[in-house]
Amino acid sequence: MPTRSAYLFLLPALVLYVAFVAIPIMQIIGFSLFDWDNGIRGDFVGMDNFARLGGDRVFWSALAHNAIWVVLTLAFPLMAGLLLAAILAERGNNTRRWLAAIYFIPRTIPLVVAGIIWGWIYNPLFGLLNYILEGIGLGFLAGAWLAEPGSALLSLNIVGAWTFFGFCVVIFLAAIQSIDPSLYEAAEIDGAEWWRKFRDITVPLLKNSTLFLGLYAAIEAMRFFDLIWVTTQGGPGYATEVLTTHIYKTFFLVGDFGYAAVLSVVLLIIVLSLSSISFWLLKSK
Amino acid sequence: MNNLPRHSQTVVLIAFAIYALAPVYLIFLASMRSEADLFSGPLSVPWPINVDNYRRVWQESGFSVFFLNSLKISTSVTVLVVLCAPLAGFAFAKMQFKGREPLFALFLAGLVVPAPSIIVALYGNLQVLGMIDSHIGVILPQAALLMPFSVFLMRTVMQDVPDELIEASLMDGATFFETFIRVVVPVVRPGLMSLILIVFLFSWQEYLLPLVVLQTESLKPITVGAASLQGRYGVDYGGIAAAGLIAFAPLVVLFLIMQRSFVRGISAGAVK
Repeated sequence: MPTRSAYLFLLPALVLYVAFVAIPIMQIIGFSLFDWDNGIRGDFVGMDNFARLGGDRVFWSALAHNAIWVVLTLAFPLMAGLLLAAILAERGNNTRRWLAAIYFIPRTIPLVVAGIIWGWIYNPLFGLLNYILEGIGLGFLAGAWLAEPGSALLSLNIVGAWTFFGFCVVIFLAAIQSIDPSLYEAAEIDGAEWWRKFRDITVPLLKNSTLFLGLYAAIEAMRFFDLIWVTTQGGPGYATEVLTTHIYKTFFLVGDFGYAAVLSVVLLIIVLSLSSISFWLLKSK
Repeated sequence: MNNLPRHSQTVVLIAFAIYALAPVYLIFLASMRSEADLFSGPLSVPWPINVDNYRRVWQESGFSVFFLNSLKISTSVTVLVVLCAPLAGFAFAKMQFKGREPLFALFLAGLVVPAPSIIVALYGNLQVLGMIDSHIGVILPQAALLMPFSVFLMRTVMQDVPDELIEASLMDGATFFETFIRVVVPVVRPGLMSLILIVFLFSWQEYLLPLVVLQTESLKPITVGAASLQGRYGVDYGGIAAAGLIAFAPLVVLFLIMQRSFVRGISAGAVK
């Protein structure tokens, strides 16, 4: 009896999920194994489509950009979030709540709009960044930030960081507040200064949250699309191409079904492996 | 002596507050700048203050329609998720049944599936179902993509409901469904609020699905509208700024009012 009502409880969520997520995943795997001609399925070719990955330089540079994005995200917004949360944890309730809220505001802004705003900040003609650089006598550093291959990806990552660091602050703050305060009090009696408390208590005890956020950041770095699409569409050249934009172009602009499916399968394998690793790691703690 | 690090810490706190808010402030200024005032520098306060950009975007560029479309799509997605996810979360948290672990694993796998990775199949399916260029073609896949996160969050929330409460209600002869509605839902109301807010936010921010599914201008939501405005009139900066502000202001206001609910929902899954 309880078994039957459990299935009824699950049914609506399951139907929706299977119809619009699980089945498409199966289909994509199927698509990737066939030859396609203008959207019409041809012969079964097994793994032949996958062989094209080896010679696809756009794919490899897209993958490299996703990887760089992960590293940059771990290096900047994640670390900044940790430091800010540790500082905020010692401030008064109101300061803590309001600053955490302010840091989180960019996360509530759609990435499309974030891309538009920052596109202006980086604009070479009237953008804020060059304006400030010239104002403080560093005009020689000014550039066409999103239009130059050397700076485009890094400039966009600053936008990604802008939307992400507040999320890290919120998660780290919640974790710090669950640390036993007597640990800090004991350290203070021993005369430990702020930096040592941070290094010896906060950081080690936040290992799980850091792991969670790190893997979350890695998965998001594989998934993101909007920000690139509204700013550079993967350009200049292929300087900001990522896996998702490569899929989009291969499918909607080139119309190459089989290969778009191959790229989708690769993306799915990567994100599913990352999430399995994170569940396994977090469970074993 | 001990004050020195504290002051430098305050500087760090303020620097990041500026990082977070400066772009928002900038677009706010730009949205009230008239064209003549455009090149007086991005930080100058616009004068005379000009709400013409808002009027133009709202009335002539169709943003009143885009806004209503966003409202309709996000509300529908939220209602759909709220009807499905709490029931499933309750089943996973509190009921014993065959296949519980594999079914939960199936949902967990979906937690990370990016829309771009299934769009190749989804697009064809929506064509077959006749859902291309209709709101339902955006609403159903979006709710489905948000389902794993929502079920996961609801399971976490439901785990905190005391077993005794549920057992007592079942002993009184209530069915599981009656117990869920009368006993469980009132207890988990804060968790439901978090779910509603987060799903609404994610749905409002969505870009790829409506971009590829909707072709008719009058059906598009505000994210697609704002992006295409940028492409169409690359020089109407005041208009684009006003459009951007219209696109995110409701979310920021909602977040600031309902901060606690948001934060509870976001950290629920992560800390455990």
